[in-house]
Amino acid sequence: MINSSPQGFLLHLQRLSTEDGPGLRTTVFFKGCPLHCAWCHNPESLSTRLQTQWFSVRCIACHTCVQTCPNGCLTMTASGLQIDRERCEACGKCVQVCPSGALEALGTTMKVDQALAELLKDQVYYEKSGGGVTLSGGEPTFQPDFAEALLCSLREQGISTALDTCGLCSIHTLDRLLPYTDLVLFDLKLLDPLLHQQFTGVSNATILENLKHIRDSLHNQGHPASLWIRTPLIPGATLSDENLSAIGRYLADNLHGTVSRWELCSFNNLCRDQYIRLGLEWSYAKTPLLSREELAHCEQIAKASGFSPQHILATGATRLDL
Amino acid sequence: MTTPVIEKPRYAIKSPSNLSSRIQWLRDYYFQGVARSWNNEFTSWTSGTTWDFQYNELSFYIVPETYSFLQTFRSAFKQVARPVVLDPEFWKWTLPERRAWFNREVLVKYLPKEILPGDLLAGARFNIQTSACLTEKETKERDRQVYGSMGARAAMLWFHNHGFGNAGATSGHIIPDYGRIIRDGWKSVHAELEQAYAALSPIDRRGKKGGQMRAMLTAATLARDLAAEYSKECARLAQAEPEPLRKSELLQMADNLTRVPWEPARNFWEAVQSLWLTHMLVMADENYPGPGVSFGRLDQYLLPVWDKSIQDGMDPEFGKELLKCFWLHCNTAYDGMIRTGGNQGITAGYGQLFNLSGLGPEGRDMTNALTYILLDVIDEMSPILEPKPNVRLHRASPEKLLDRVVEMIASSQGSPFLLNFDERAMAGMMLEARRSGVTNFINENNVFDYASVGCLENTMVGNDRSGTVDANLNLLKAVELTLTGGYDLLPFTDGITGKTDKPQRWGEPTGDPAQFATWEQFWQAYAAQTRHIIRRIVELYERSESIRAKYAPTPYVSCLVRGCAQKALDINEGGSELGYVTIEAVTYATTVDSLLAVKYLVYDEKVCTLAELVQALKDNWEGHAVLQARAQHKAPKYGRDDDNADLLACQVMELWTDETWKYKTRSTGRQFRPGMLSWNYWVADSFILPASPDGRPRGKFLSNALCPSNGADINGPTANVNSVGKVLGGKAVDGKGDWAGYLNVLPNGGSHTMTFNPSILRDPEHREKFKAFLKGYIENGGSALQVNLIDAGLLRDAQQHPENYRHLLVRVTGYNAYFTSIGRELQNEIIARESHNMR
Repeated sequence: MINSSPQGFLLHLQRLSTEDGPGLRTTVFFKGCPLHCAWCHNPESLSTRLQTQWFSVRCIACHTCVQTCPNGCLTMTASGLQIDRERCEACGKCVQVCPSGALEALGTTMKVDQALAELLKDQVYYEKSGGGVTLSGGEPTFQPDFAEALLCSLREQGISTALDTCGLCSIHTLDRLLPYTDLVLFDLKLLDPLLHQQFTGVSNATILENLKHIRDSLHNQGHPASLWIRTPLIPGATLSDENLSAIGRYLADNLHGTVSRWELCSFNNLCRDQYIRLGLEWSYAKTPLLSREELAHCEQIAKASGFSPQHILATGATRLDL
Repeated sequence: MTTPVIEKPRYAIKSPSNLSSRIQWLRDYYFQGVARSWNNEFTSWTSGTTWDFQYNELSFYIVPETYSFLQTFRSAFKQVARPVVLDPEFWKWTLPERRAWFNREVLVKYLPKEILPGDLLAGARFNIQTSACLTEKETKERDRQVYGSMGARAAMLWFHNHGFGNAGATSGHIIPDYGRIIRDGWKSVHAELEQAYAALSPIDRRGKKGGQMRAMLTAATLARDLAAEYSKECARLAQAEPEPLRKSELLQMADNLTRVPWEPARNFWEAVQSLWLTHMLVMADENYPGPGVSFGRLDQYLLPVWDKSIQDGMDPEFGKELLKCFWLHCNTAYDGMIRTGGNQGITAGYGQLFNLSGLGPEGRDMTNALTYILLDVIDEMSPILEPKPNVRLHRASPEKLLDRVVEMIASSQGSPFLLNFDERAMAGMMLEARRSGVTNFINENNVFDYASVGCLENTMVGNDRSGTVDANLNLLKAVELTLTGGYDLLPFTDGITGKTDKPQRWGEPTGDPAQFATWEQFWQAYAAQTRHIIRRIVELYERSESIRAKYAPTPYVSCLVRGCAQKALDINEGGSELGYVTIEAVTYATTVDSLLAVKYLVYDEKVCTLAELVQALKDNWEGHAVLQARAQHKAPKYGRDDDNADLLACQVMELWTDETWKYKTRSTGRQFRPGMLSWNYWVADSFILPASPDGRPRGKFLSNALCPSNGADINGPTANVNSVGKVLGGKAVDGKGDWAGYLNVLPNGGSHTMTFNPSILRDPEHREKFKAFLKGYIENGGSALQVNLIDAGLLRDAQQHPENYRHLLVRVTGYNAYFTSIGRELQNEIIARESHNMR
């Protein structure tokens, strides 16, 4: 049963997205994730709570927020606005009064029809490009009621759908979502269960079970219509010959003929400032982008792993070699 | 002493390719600029009278940068003018006859005929300033109308200084009927004129009409007589030429010139020669070096001769060689003021525009072999400024064309051409036909043959004195007048005399807005002020239009525009079948955002009173940082695909365009029509217009043409595009619309520039995505798009090391400029402009 008007807790809708599936898409970023990957590129999507962030370049130092906060958790210091995140109840008042947009709320509640109205605005671009809407995050399966209702509504409008998932959810959730999903973008980060535990906080046992379940659904029920695997290339974590070979072998052995693309996504550092704004440490803050050669090497290893080489794609920014 | 370190350029700039040694030499020679021994610098010629003058300043009233030099130019050209021996009958002739004869005399008998080494086309010295050919009495009368205390110049300066904009009867910006000359030759024009002259009644023949027709008959022989002189020069050079291949080329050129442009062109070489000579003489006739003199659908009217020559065995590479010579000839227009400024006289693109591809009858796509040849020539010659291409796309554009377009965008620093979108553009043309009652000249059977002038100003071809840049109106002035009840917000101070105006009401007496209780009252006052500023620009324009009509005939151009021969009336007197003057609205998004901010701050959220807002604007926002921040960041904005904000944007659009259709010029009967092209006014006038309610302080740039304000389009490119399409009218609810369901309230075109990060085109898969984006643009967007693909890092590097980026072109509002030749402020602005990185 579809809940009549479930609400989603979202970060934002990213229009003209070109990296989350085929064609031109709008990506719906869900907030909240069951994994806590050390390298996470969307740290703002980890927490299921509303969060506040502050942009120093936009701040005009008017102190309106400091005076407004009912809990007194804001202080303006020489190094900028300090948010006492222990005491902040995320009431959103400071965001509301900030005249310059320097304070932003991360997290917004949306009903299905609200989200749908926004998503329909780019329908013509989806149609012309073979694109559609991708549910990403965060983790969309973490909010199954909303995800299901949204996918179902998109399907009714004839819009192609994709589900970008870390793979950690119940089989039951998958069975609710897959009937309305054309493409699954499935993250496979580390094949070794211990390393997976170490870097993401959870074991990959359920994730691999779910992957097989999606495989079976694809073959037996015909949905999703296609499956892509995505592996982030994180130096010191996922980026090793052993891991890439192991994933490739696993895919060749267990998902032969099921995966239409395996994407190797080059490490990027665009989220560096996002960690700072959230007051979080990021252990990869000083990690440089991959060199062109490193990325090519990863591609080579993957292609030698036994997985069909023509379905492997290495993407993402590399260092500018000057 | 330090050793200069020359860094290697960090980024690859588009460079020309596949050039023969001939073209390479001609191109390199061209870019030597002032170092060349030959150039096409203005020469000046006089009737020898003491009152004579050459420089027609009316054509430059739309170029505020020249205001300080108007008198200097007039005196300088007068001083250096060389006398022409006049025909004994000269002063007995009518003015058009004098002009036609004088120009022909200068071009045929006085100017040297030169052929550059290896060049395959003749026709070089066309930048001329010739005698106004006025009698002493006419001169006095004209000068009184121009220089009197209430004259055209004073009125224009007042208008500009007070932030309304500018207007002036400007030359160029027209598409002559070149196809006819190539097809039928000048002799057919001449024969038609003779026939029409013979049909005049004896009274008419003795009167004004007779004079005009005799002038046009003289002008119709100009190209023939000049071609004969060039033919002699080619023959002379051939005789002295030791190299057999070059000798045969020169002999062939001599032969071609004995036929064209007088006779119909029989092959491609003759056609390109015919086109070039005919075209350059338009610029000569108007004494105006090219801006906006456009070619129309080059790949359509040159196709028959192209096909014929290919059938007859012409190597396509030789055809391209001819076109490349043509390209270089077009660029010599810039030589006019080659010793002015730091960049060989090149400031911005002149826009000798041509269209490629597009729709034909019965919804057919007209892309052909020559379309692709011309795209190859563009690609191989780029970067170069002239001529300027505009590729027409539509729903049925072939994939091959779209692929080529995207590939060329990917390999340049942005698109080497403008893109025009047929369905939206044609909907506008159909609206124009209806609003101005000319469905006999523009209708569903010919609207597909429209073409673009200058950048993206859509017109019919060969029958419109199109005046696409003549009236440039700052819509924002109406907001200012509303906030003050009709006064300037800040009194004007003359920069030279230091005198400050006494406060005086210029606008409508809409009263103290602080007394308005509702937003609706504010809107009504704004509407009254908008109607007022439109009436003002129409009145200002009339001053120069009527002077031009009376004192500046262009009989040669009149021969190339249908209607003039039939009516025996000069094009500058309203002779063409169609006559439009475009009011190009400037500051559109700034105006919309300002109104949105007033509504949000004062009436909806009641953040401040109207009096407080006005005070903040008078203080240029200084001391009102919190209110300014709210205006900038909290008020809604146009360009976000926000239906509420875009609804007000639609109302602003409807109001000013509807008002524009109500006016015609009194002296020439030309209909005013709406368009949006901001040229560089959105930069320059930002220092004249005071702070605006959208949070903009004086000096921060205004919005450009149809584009959202800089940085306002936070929802990305598709939202930006959707907003633009919406304010043009979107698609008709009943599905009918004016063309294929589309509506477009800006028939003369709306300039839309978008800047993307190069990563959107990084591989074939992403190029497919970008192609789909263009297809989406066809459905949802405007009538014209300029794509910029610039990496901010590249531009900063270019600022640091201009020597490495001399040929880096940037495109702003559809005109091109060398990045290193523009001022630091605009450079910074371009760098700051949001770069849409597809994620």
